[in-house]
Amino acid sequence: VNSEPKKLKFSSELLAPCISCGFCLSACPTYQLTKDERSSPRGRISLMREYQSDLLPLNDPTFQEESSFCLGCRACEPVCPANVKYGALLEEWRDLAWTKTKLSIRVRILKTAVRLNPIIKFVGWIRGSAKLSKANIEPNDKYLMLGCAERILFPQVSRAAIKLCPSLKVPNDQGCCGALQAHNGSSDLGRKMASELGVALPGLIVTTSGGCAAHLVGVLGRDRVKEFSEFIVETNSNPILKSSNIKKIMVDGHVARIALQDSCHLRNGLSVFKEPREIISGLGEFYEISTAKVCCGAAGTYSLLRPKDSKKILAPKLKEILESNIDYLVTLNPGCYRQMSKGLRKSGVKVVHISELLDMA
Amino acid sequence: LISELQTIVGQKHVLSRVGDLVPFKRDATPLFQGLPDVVVFPKNTKEVQKIIRFAAQNSIPVIPRGAGSSLTAGTVPIHGGIVLVLTRMDKIIEISSSEMLAVVEPGVTTAGLAGSALKQNLLYPPDPGSKIVSTIGGNVATSAGGLRGLKYGVTRNYVLGLEIVLGSGEIVRTGGRLWKDVAGYDLTRLMTGSEGTLGVITEIIVGLLPAPEFSLTGIAYFKNLSLAASAVSSIISQGIMPATLEFLDQKCIKAVENFANLNLDLDAGALLLFGDDGTIPAVTQNLHKMAQICRDYGGYRIEIASDLTRSDDLLEARRCSLPALSQLAPTLLLEDVCVPRPKLAKMVEEIDRIAQKYKVLCATFGHAGDGNLHPTIAFDENDPDARERAIAAFDEIFNLAIELGGSISGEHGIGAAKLPYLERQLGNDQMNLLRRVKSAFDPKGILNPGKLGS
Repeated sequence: VNSEPKKLKFSSELLAPCISCGFCLSACPTYQLTKDERSSPRGRISLMREYQSDLLPLNDPTFQEESSFCLGCRACEPVCPANVKYGALLEEWRDLAWTKTKLSIRVRILKTAVRLNPIIKFVGWIRGSAKLSKANIEPNDKYLMLGCAERILFPQVSRAAIKLCPSLKVPNDQGCCGALQAHNGSSDLGRKMASELGVALPGLIVTTSGGCAAHLVGVLGRDRVKEFSEFIVETNSNPILKSSNIKKIMVDGHVARIALQDSCHLRNGLSVFKEPREIISGLGEFYEISTAKVCCGAAGTYSLLRPKDSKKILAPKLKEILESNIDYLVTLNPGCYRQMSKGLRKSGVKVVHISELLDMA
Repeated sequence: LISELQTIVGQKHVLSRVGDLVPFKRDATPLFQGLPDVVVFPKNTKEVQKIIRFAAQNSIPVIPRGAGSSLTAGTVPIHGGIVLVLTRMDKIIEISSSEMLAVVEPGVTTAGLAGSALKQNLLYPPDPGSKIVSTIGGNVATSAGGLRGLKYGVTRNYVLGLEIVLGSGEIVRTGGRLWKDVAGYDLTRLMTGSEGTLGVITEIIVGLLPAPEFSLTGIAYFKNLSLAASAVSSIISQGIMPATLEFLDQKCIKAVENFANLNLDLDAGALLLFGDDGTIPAVTQNLHKMAQICRDYGGYRIEIASDLTRSDDLLEARRCSLPALSQLAPTLLLEDVCVPRPKLAKMVEEIDRIAQKYKVLCATFGHAGDGNLHPTIAFDENDPDARERAIAAFDEIFNLAIELGGSISGEHGIGAAKLPYLERQLGNDQMNLLRRVKSAFDPKGILNPGKLGS
């Protein structure tokens, strides 16, 4: 697949801007967990720079370990006044460090699986994701992206989305956006897959996954992609949000108390975080948990690769949610959906995607 | 060395492979780096004591480190040795509202302490720009200042007592829980600002104040920094002692606006933030008075924040000035000179002249009310000529500050970065006294060598 020669260094223009001020330490979930400079964005950039200057070999254990201990949540980006594009650096880092032989077998299977379009289509169909539309593909149309993991794991999300926005077209011939590839050591392939998806869905792409939205924007541009909650608020296409029709969601006779888990890349990469809050506030009693903007530990393949660390990252959030008397926790991304559902399985808190919440009202 | 340290703190808390050491080569200071031989993370005072004793026996340098946000290379192991990271000692031991004090371990962050105090309606006033990351241990070691210095003073004014491990390994408690206590030399005050060269701070007692019921910030624009400086002198001479008087020049305004999108006026030559806290009528009255004085000195587009969020945003603009300036060039050489308030306007004009003389890009922001300025030279460290000119300008600004009766450092400290300039301010006799003081605390000279007292 990769015909270009593999890059052996970081892009120096990405490494240059960091002035090591340390403002990122406070926002970094792994630094907050360990209080260890190695596990901070600044410390990781020090490692990258050392490698860049040939003072550290590629197989240095810390260089390898930190490339995988990092969640890739990009919480360091909005707090960085020097504008360091850490997410882009991490993609390059994993391209360098996560060579095939070093990659865990589970991730290798996953990376291959999401490219098997016929299987995804078939399982998605069995599971009952949104009904496909037979209409022609037109460049000025708006399309609902089904995704790979979500199409299979949470088919109810796209079902709800299309019910709320029936004008969106849903072509069958659409694959994975490539975010999974880009975040797991194959950024060239990840970009290629995003471009292909941009051809398959030639107009505006509406996605119910914050992570996919951020990756697609990086390749196709901001004006081609809208995350679902952003789409709802901006187009005001949903009658539920119009005050005359608002019917609050009730639980046991009281207005539902609803919290949100931000999607990291949606918030930190695309600055979308007001929109879902606006929607929820219209549907129930919105309760802001203080850890909403902190990664839940799903972080793409992280929960598979590092289950123990993933649980440690999740723990304080679960504690806060369980103490806050919440009825619903809203997610904006399939990875978070899965992680939070697992974490809250035996609690009374129901985890939903924002499209399902809208559908309920 | 490694196995000895491992027996003290446990294998997990000792780092010695090169990849593990690299992140500890530097702090927030450019141009200074040094690879430690080993990094240790002690959990309590006893462990610190054992490490220090071992290091003293073997004459190994020990460099205490908190979050590594030093701006003077204060935590860079320039002679190698043991980097002693205190972030695992991060307990808030007690916050007492009846005694109005807090007892904390050194690894607690400044914002963490302030936040916990506020829950009990108490104020920890020092608020350095890096408060969300910086540790109290580091704040005490540098007597960190901040945006409220004018009214509330700096870290030094709040430290009541310390537990320290001396360079000899003895554990000493200085001061205590009292605001009044003159038994013995004031070692608490000596330790505050000692930059890890006299002892390792392992526990801190700080005084707290009742939290003010209200605070508010205003903003005014000026044609140039010098006019803003004159307005500041006038505000203070009229007997107003506000919590905040901060200014930014045009280059800072642009960099900050680019990062924070606060709708700042990009054409203005300077921006002044003025703020106060206290009762609602007193704060409102002070803000209006200050707004009027700004107007008298040619200030325009004067705005008093409509609410707390806008107020916080404005202060945040000031806090992120330094890192935001990195958009100008990859390396920032930051000064921290402090001059008597009446000399502020003169200092600002002279900095401009020096910047032109050496053809350097210099942006200035600072705590106008304290006379504390942060002229910041942005350059590319890979360009030897640019680097030389930046250092020459830096040098001349130091001389200027001393000439005007000021100091080469208001709040960041000396570290390794400013040590070569310290003698100009203190003179030879005082430098020798500093060295004798250091040797009383640290006879083997193992604590943070190459910094203060060396």
